[in-house]
Amino acid sequence: MNITPAHPVFAGEVSGIDITRPLSRDQVAAVEAGMDRYAVLVFHDQALTDEQQLEFSRNFGELEVTLAGQMAKPEDRRLGDRLELGDISNLTARNAIRERDDRSRMYALANRLWHSDASFRAIGAGYTLLHGRVIPGKGGNTEFADMRAAYDALDDATKAEIEDLVCEHSIVFSREQIGFADYAPGNEDRLRPVRHRLVITHPVTGRKSLYLSSHIGGIVGWPVPEARAFIRDLAEHATQRQFVYSHAWRVGDLVMWDNRTVMHRARRFDDLKEVRDLRRTSIKGTGLEVGQAKAA
Amino acid sequence: MPVTITSLNPLFVGEVSGVDLTQPLTHDDVAGIEAGMDRHAVLVFRDQRLTDEQQLAFSRHFGELEATRGTGISKPGELRLDPAFADVSNLDTNNQPLARDNRRRLYSLGNRLWHSDSSFKAVPATYSILSGRVVADKGGETEFADMRAAYDALDDAVRASIEDLVCEHSLQYSREQLGFDLTPEERATMRPVRQRLVRTHPVTGRKSLYLASHIGTITGWPVPEARAFIRDLTEHATQPRFVYTHRWRPWDLVMWDNRQVMHRVRRYDESKPRDMRRTTVAGTVMTVAQAA
Repeated sequence: MNITPAHPVFAGEVSGIDITRPLSRDQVAAVEAGMDRYAVLVFHDQALTDEQQLEFSRNFGELEVTLAGQMAKPEDRRLGDRLELGDISNLTARNAIRERDDRSRMYALANRLWHSDASFRAIGAGYTLLHGRVIPGKGGNTEFADMRAAYDALDDATKAEIEDLVCEHSIVFSREQIGFADYAPGNEDRLRPVRHRLVITHPVTGRKSLYLSSHIGGIVGWPVPEARAFIRDLAEHATQRQFVYSHAWRVGDLVMWDNRTVMHRARRFDDLKEVRDLRRTSIKGTGLEVGQAKAA
Repeated sequence: MPVTITSLNPLFVGEVSGVDLTQPLTHDDVAGIEAGMDRHAVLVFRDQRLTDEQQLAFSRHFGELEATRGTGISKPGELRLDPAFADVSNLDTNNQPLARDNRRRLYSLGNRLWHSDSSFKAVPATYSILSGRVVADKGGETEFADMRAAYDALDDAVRASIEDLVCEHSLQYSREQLGFDLTPEERATMRPVRQRLVRTHPVTGRKSLYLASHIGTITGWPVPEARAFIRDLTEHATQPRFVYTHRWRPWDLVMWDNRQVMHRVRRYDESKPRDMRRTTVAGTVMTVAQAA
């Protein structure tokens, strides 16, 4: 297995491995070491089935179920009852392109805001793995921003100021920003804010990074408007072009990233005309519990 | 001595010399400044020790002034300055910095988002004129982004797709973004108005993006799609190559054309006084026909 840098500060392209087949212990260790270093890894030309993607993902820990899947009615789930498989597509349960005002489309538009997957949970996601099945002709890139490099580039006064800040995250806050608030009753527990440290330390490398996300709605102890203005400034700093890798998808790409060290977002494409079908698996995070406990 | 203007940025912004704004201006001075505004969109005048009266007199050369009453959350009796001024300070009526959780302070944090002044009025403003009386030692810069250059840099397909779009603007949308709680009474005074997204300057004929954090949606679009798209456009339009950062010195006067630029203030230490006073020149035309 070989990794070639795809960007000056992070992201690598992996070759010499077939992830449709079971991995050896050494191969898993090599992928994990690559993730610790690059934070984003791209595997091209991997014709994974759903089962193979789930199998590959389980090498890295316990799978998470997706919030959108949990909140959707069973008959609206295109990928059936396997809630560990996230449907990142613009398709209905009948594989038709979603209508312009489709509720799920509205909800998913918030993926165009910079975020870290599942930061709205008490234990956020570790790795996310996204596999490209159908890719639009134009647009629909996924962009990644290196939160370690962004942290390192802060001045000393800002680093000291933010060291012990704790943020409140909820799916409500990211959706509110684009004017979506249409949740079915019974989801109150899933919408309640959770707390995470703003500066987190990677459990393996010891590197610090900014744990930012559009799911942030406040900083504990700060007036809300001041917190939001500050978080916007930090997010703008952290997503400057020098920290960003833009992934232009090819069919069969599997991209995996570490939500503890990068933010990501999807870019616009002509989603009323073209199909984009990606499938996502996520691994429960480790190393974030400390922050949560300290924050509580 | 005639008005002379030196460029401060490859795209826009000029520094003006040869004019004392505390003194009455000649017809030629005014024409020179207007021509400079058409071209540079932002003009910087140094060392202008203006009184409020002098700032008002200077501003009136360019048209009727807007009154700030009825556009914010301040009530009569809470104003530190004449109602012809927008008080862009962090000070109360005793000239003391506002407390951290002061409601007016939290409201004014909306100025940290990119915006165009008064885009929430059916007839929006032309020039804003900001005098720096007491400036921050560190931070508190005002940034400007050139919406003409941002428009020009769009690809043809995007330009065609946005040509006739109309956006809905209201102060409630910019304040909502920061989670500021408006009362129902305040909200009632903030009825959204419509503005074209692409506007054409009446003198130069140049097109520009009429963006602002006051935008809440695009007419005929689902709200989330509109907001995601406006965010993308704003990010495009505020790339560093379109931005000039003004680092204030005491008694700088900066004027800008809200039809051609967006602006925002950067963070500063609000425990110290920052006293900035803005006059705003009222526009005379709507960008979309509607009830005023």
